[in-house]
Amino acid sequence: MFLHRMNVLAAQPRIRTPLHIAQRVTRGRLVMEGVGKTFPGTAVPVLKDITLTCEPGEFVVVVGPSGSGKSTLLNIAAGMTNMDSGTVTLDGKSTDTPGPDRAMVFQDHGLFPWLTAEQNIGFGLNMAGMAKSERLDRVEAALKMVHLTHTRTKLIHELSGGMRQRVAIARALVMDPAVLLMDEPFAALDAQTRTLLHEQLQELWCQSHKTILFVTHSVGEAVRLADRIIVLHAHPGRIRRVVDVNLPHPRQFDSYDISTLVTLVRKEIEDEVNRVNREMANDYWKPEDQSDQKSDVRGEGDGI
Amino acid sequence: MTSGTISRSIAVPSSDTSLTSGLRRLVIWLAIFAAWEGAYRVIGWRAWQFPAPSHVVDATLSMLDVRTAFGDPLHAGWPRVDTPLHATGRVWSDSPLITANLTSGRRLLAGFAISIIMGAAMGVVMWRYSEVDKMLGPLFLGLLTLPSVCWVPLGVRVLGINESTVLFVLIMGSVFAVAISMRDGLRNMPPIYRRAGLMLGARGWRLYRYVLFPASLPAFAGSLRQGFSFSWRSLLGAELILTSVDDHGLGFLLSIGRDIGDVARIIAIMFVMIVVGIFADRWFFAKLQKAINTRFGFQ
Repeated sequence: MFLHRMNVLAAQPRIRTPLHIAQRVTRGRLVMEGVGKTFPGTAVPVLKDITLTCEPGEFVVVVGPSGSGKSTLLNIAAGMTNMDSGTVTLDGKSTDTPGPDRAMVFQDHGLFPWLTAEQNIGFGLNMAGMAKSERLDRVEAALKMVHLTHTRTKLIHELSGGMRQRVAIARALVMDPAVLLMDEPFAALDAQTRTLLHEQLQELWCQSHKTILFVTHSVGEAVRLADRIIVLHAHPGRIRRVVDVNLPHPRQFDSYDISTLVTLVRKEIEDEVNRVNREMANDYWKPEDQSDQKSDVRGEGDGI
Repeated sequence: MTSGTISRSIAVPSSDTSLTSGLRRLVIWLAIFAAWEGAYRVIGWRAWQFPAPSHVVDATLSMLDVRTAFGDPLHAGWPRVDTPLHATGRVWSDSPLITANLTSGRRLLAGFAISIIMGAAMGVVMWRYSEVDKMLGPLFLGLLTLPSVCWVPLGVRVLGINESTVLFVLIMGSVFAVAISMRDGLRNMPPIYRRAGLMLGARGWRLYRYVLFPASLPAFAGSLRQGFSFSWRSLLGAELILTSVDDHGLGFLLSIGRDIGDVARIIAIMFVMIVVGIFADRWFFAKLQKAINTRFGFQ
């Protein structure tokens, strides 16, 4: 497979050593080799020959249009979907079945509505058979970590969308997984909450040094968070481009230098994603072509 | 919050719970009964063909061993209240209406419990194994269209005329409805709970015990409610036909009303059946369902 790896920021001075290397994280190396998947009854594979390595402690964001199989890729890594070809290993172990070493955060949070926030966070520890006192300590620490100690006994439907995702993140991190898999976790949130959660996620990541594989369709989100961005092509889903983002963490989204760099990267990737979108769409609608359509639009009240 | 949009679509209109609305409905019902009573007195129907509400009240009370005569023509001594029958030695709790309700209630509890356990189990199996569902689903839907009393002849020939035949009809009349409703409820259960449970290390029976079972509670509450209304109707139908069974339920009383030509009694028993059904549905099953849905944030 030809993998075009580019660094749009090559001209920029290298700001610092990537965090995961500086921290000497050794756990959480996720290796995918030649992963392919075709859903039954469809001709085009949803994923074709995906080869990708997430280094320990690295923040990798997969971005791509709908139908590029990015969620499927995440589900395969989680062990929830079987692949047709290829191998996926985490620290050398196969990831065929779901396991607590690969904690997942879902777009619609997937929290259990019959449990309170703290019961949700403690659920995985409970399943693992952890003693109650230790479990409560861990849950307490996780609640503190996402700043939700005041909502411990609330039911899920009593929490706001942003709080729910924070509980979901705490529920995943409390398991002390080797890798955190995030499937468009902030897509359903409003812009302000999303920005807040981007900051908090970065903070958490800097503290916990987890490998994160994060899937999104938002280029802006990818640039804000990623060490490395994987751009997927659709139909069949394969890797189109890999972009390194050498910006320091935690990133201040409103600083001038950063936003300039973000704009640069975003432009580069958006061209790619737009091209993919254009290829996928049968008819490409251009909003600026309105001049010759005007005469066609006639309706009641035109003569007024 | 997203729950707000859901609650708007399924919540009961708030005016239904207000006091004024309740009063308004009471006034309307009183007006209907007054018009019925008035029509009886003015037109002069014969009571054995079509009685007035006052006759129905008399019939109801007489089944509780209290003899009244609200239905008599108006005269100086109206209303006449006779010596209660329990002066003869029978205790009030042995009156026909009380014993019939207890008998029907006992049968309902037994049959309904069996029906819920079997129906829920079948619903889970049909949800879990699509091959079973493909085979049994259409069959069950077909059996649902069969009126429950149509099971009586089969039950009588196979089991004889006894208590188990009544239970047989009750169960056959409700178990398929429970199964279908359980299956549909489980199908509507978001698949993400299962995935989240697997991700958090819930395997095998633990996945069922700690994730799928609690997640299916709204579906289960729905099928309980469905199962009750089907069970109640099937039971009354069975009792109405199987009158030679030893214990006498509400359906038996109805058949007696027909046999002795007491229309007021027939209406009185129908009224009791409706009241019991509504009471159980609105004050027990609906409240249970609401409590579960509230917990889940559906309303």
